[in-house]
Amino acid sequence: MLYIILAVIGGFLTILNMVINAGLGKRIGVFPGTFVNYVVGLSLILILVLMMGNPLDISTFSNIPFYAFLGGALGVTIVASSNIIIPKIPAIYTVLLNFIGQIFAGVIIDYIRFDYISKGKIIGGILIILGILYNTNIDKKQLTEGK
Amino acid sequence: MIMVLISVDLEEEKMYKLYAILIGVLITIMVSFNGTLESHIGNFFAVLVIHIVGLLSISLILIIRKERPVIKKGIPRYLYTGGAIGILLVLVNNICFSNLGASLTLSLGVFGQLLLSSIIDHFGLMGMKVYKFQAKKLIGFSIILVGLIIMTIY
Repeated sequence: MLYIILAVIGGFLTILNMVINAGLGKRIGVFPGTFVNYVVGLSLILILVLMMGNPLDISTFSNIPFYAFLGGALGVTIVASSNIIIPKIPAIYTVLLNFIGQIFAGVIIDYIRFDYISKGKIIGGILIILGILYNTNIDKKQLTEGK
Repeated sequence: MIMVLISVDLEEEKMYKLYAILIGVLITIMVSFNGTLESHIGNFFAVLVIHIVGLLSISLILIIRKERPVIKKGIPRYLYTGGAIGILLVLVNNICFSNLGASLTLSLGVFGQLLLSSIIDHFGLMGMKVYKFQAKKLIGFSIILVGLIIMTIY
């Protein structure tokens, strides 16, 4: 249950992050804004790691698959490409389409890691997509009526 | 002529929609790469490595685009907290990924996103326009909740 609440909080943080990053990007440019973000983030995690004080065992690095180091580069790619896409299509579609990509990649990755296809995850994913679509339509009507 | 232009336009929008799906795929791949790193060197060191690699990547992009980060005056301070929130976000994602798996972590995250954006819209928080919450949207949220419950139980 704790992890479920934590994952929902992760969603809150995603939105906060997006709103704040967009605000900074508008003022100093998207890529410089991302740069500032990473400088602030790196400084903070550096302080946290130093405060914890337990040393990193470099010898464990050889056991780590190389791809595991690419997450940070992917993060920057995602931010950069999102900034190109977001102005081109309605925001609601961005959320919806991102989710469709995420959920089906998630099912495939869980299949590769745990070697099973979860019917529940697929059915659940489709229901979530339907729910988002339904609410998106209400939002759309509200927007056009407001004009 | 006009028809051709319209169809080109449509094709372009389709392309961007395809890109949006691909970005979603990238997000999942990123979350699972980060989760793998976390399982090897622990959460805090993983976040450190992720940010070092990220900073190198964005520096490279800036160099290629010949852009320079500038610090302007008169920018509200809270706009600089994005990096700190990013740290929290990666920590939370890594913990949840190892315990809940990729699909459930991401679905619950999307639920959280919808919830907070509805709250922001309803009260017009953070300088956004007010869009009052409509009771009809509870139907959509219920469908999403059922989907989440099915995902959690299986």
